[in-house]
Amino acid sequence: MVEERTDSELLIASRTEPEAFTEIYRRHAEDLLRYFARRTLDPETAAELTAETFAEAFASRANYRDQGVNGVAWLYGIARHRLGRFFRSGRVEAAARRKLGMPERDLAPQDYERIEDLIDFAPIREALVAALDTLNDEQRDALRLRVIDGLGYAEVAEHLKCTEQNARQRVSRGLRKIALLLQEQGMQLTTEVEA
Amino acid sequence: MNTDIHALQLLERDLEAVATRERERLASVERAHDGGGPGAPRRPSRGGRGGAHAWGGVAAALVAVLVLAGGIGFLSQGGLGSNDGPAQRASVGDAAGRDAGGSAEVPGAQASMAPAPNSGPADERSTLESADSAGSRASLDFQAVQDGAQYSNWGVAQGAEQASGSGVGAVPTQQGDLTKIIRDGRIGIVIADGSFSKGVSRVTQIARQNGGFVLESSSRDERSGALALRIPANRFDDAMLALRGLAGELQGEVELQDISGQDVTAEFIDLGARLEILQDRRDLLRSIQADATSSGEILRLAALIDDVTLQIETIQGRLKFLRDQVAEATIRVEVRERDVQPEDPGPDAENPSLADSLGLAVQGFLRIVGAIVIGLGYLIPLAVIALLVWGVVMLVRRRDHGAS
Repeated sequence: MVEERTDSELLIASRTEPEAFTEIYRRHAEDLLRYFARRTLDPETAAELTAETFAEAFASRANYRDQGVNGVAWLYGIARHRLGRFFRSGRVEAAARRKLGMPERDLAPQDYERIEDLIDFAPIREALVAALDTLNDEQRDALRLRVIDGLGYAEVAEHLKCTEQNARQRVSRGLRKIALLLQEQGMQLTTEVEA
Repeated sequence: MNTDIHALQLLERDLEAVATRERERLASVERAHDGGGPGAPRRPSRGGRGGAHAWGGVAAALVAVLVLAGGIGFLSQGGLGSNDGPAQRASVGDAAGRDAGGSAEVPGAQASMAPAPNSGPADERSTLESADSAGSRASLDFQAVQDGAQYSNWGVAQGAEQASGSGVGAVPTQQGDLTKIIRDGRIGIVIADGSFSKGVSRVTQIARQNGGFVLESSSRDERSGALALRIPANRFDDAMLALRGLAGELQGEVELQDISGQDVTAEFIDLGARLEILQDRRDLLRSIQADATSSGEILRLAALIDDVTLQIETIQGRLKFLRDQVAEATIRVEVRERDVQPEDPGPDAENPSLADSLGLAVQGFLRIVGAIVIGLGYLIPLAVIALLVWGVVMLVRRRDHGAS
């Protein structure tokens, strides 16, 4: 059955009909993941922020008021807030997930590449190269091979003589560090228009 | 959902599980409120709480506020009236007969208990003897008058500066390490009529002789009064003995003596260890800061270093305060001429009569009410500020939502 209610109607309905919230999730999860991935450059952080944002939205759905504000805009309001806190503290909080009893999950190996595909490195490639010097040797090499040279993780791991998982983590940590650095320098990491 | 990202699929499952749990919770709340009356649709209230629960919440919040206010008021008053030292203490020679030698001890004096003539029960009198290293001995005798029956005879050596303590009671007798004990003494002396001025000047003299000074003094009609002395800790015992001697000198007696010691050794050690750790941490942060490359990182480290420095300074301040406290003891001396009535000590809290109990209960109640009122005085301005901040936050959030 196709759900025809608007986001706003679903959010209001979810107060007494919690399953309605999952429809909101289905509609916007991948977009929100992309939103975070393009700003944090890090698949792990993006996935965590996505989970925490939906958990917080679910926990505070009773606060949503239909005052002409689109339901999805309300969701992105929470997302922006979460992102701001991440850039300030350098870590993703898990308070909302813990409150709801949701597990904190590690990213599956295949998800790294899939989420990186959501990131558009083109506009920031120059800044990225300039920031490589701020990383340690392992992260710098991994990032250069993966993002600049465009190799797959299997090849990156082969070059670095480490496991694929290890290569993914080095790239992930390196990207996160660069994202925080670029954010500090006031650089806009994406040109897309926010919802 | 149509995604090949495994993390999103798992998250969907997690959210579905949460929604199911929430649905069950709402249903059980609904059932509880309906009380078995199906078919009567109830207006859903925010958070699923009904009137009774809401009132229960309000009552609980009120009680919590009153308890909090009481606690704050209590703390602001420094407790509900007891001036007793928090740690180890012993009482000696209460002429009113309450503790007539029952658990007698003079810390710092090598003491022994021996039966005295005119003996009543053995624990109602004591003779404390101590000797200095040269073996010289000076005795101070006094009679504690209590209904003409109880009698105490004290032989106390003066100048027993390093004598080790022993005896009945639990006063800090670990003379080997007095530096970590905050000591307080209180002594009440009844002296012959017309000798109050002399008594006060002798107390002042005793303070000076022992390297101390009179911190404050007060008197009533030049016939009774109280003095607070600050005495170097290592002269505390000598000063107490000299004050006891003063009673004999002025044909009087010691009517009460109270000695307490607060052992702060553990706090010293704890603070010392924390200080060391924090200093190490600050050194580490400084070395990291020296290697930092970005201005953001340097600033973040500077904030951390400031934070650690603040903690270090707080601990150093507390250590200095404790050192000052252990370096000097406080002795409160109450002097009165014999025919001056002592201040009404109030009902005996340990053994009160029914009327006294009622009086104590009323007093206690009034103190609690007073503490709550004081606490509310602290809380209300804070609550107003919190309300204003909350209002501003809500406005900003609403505006953000509106803008987006």
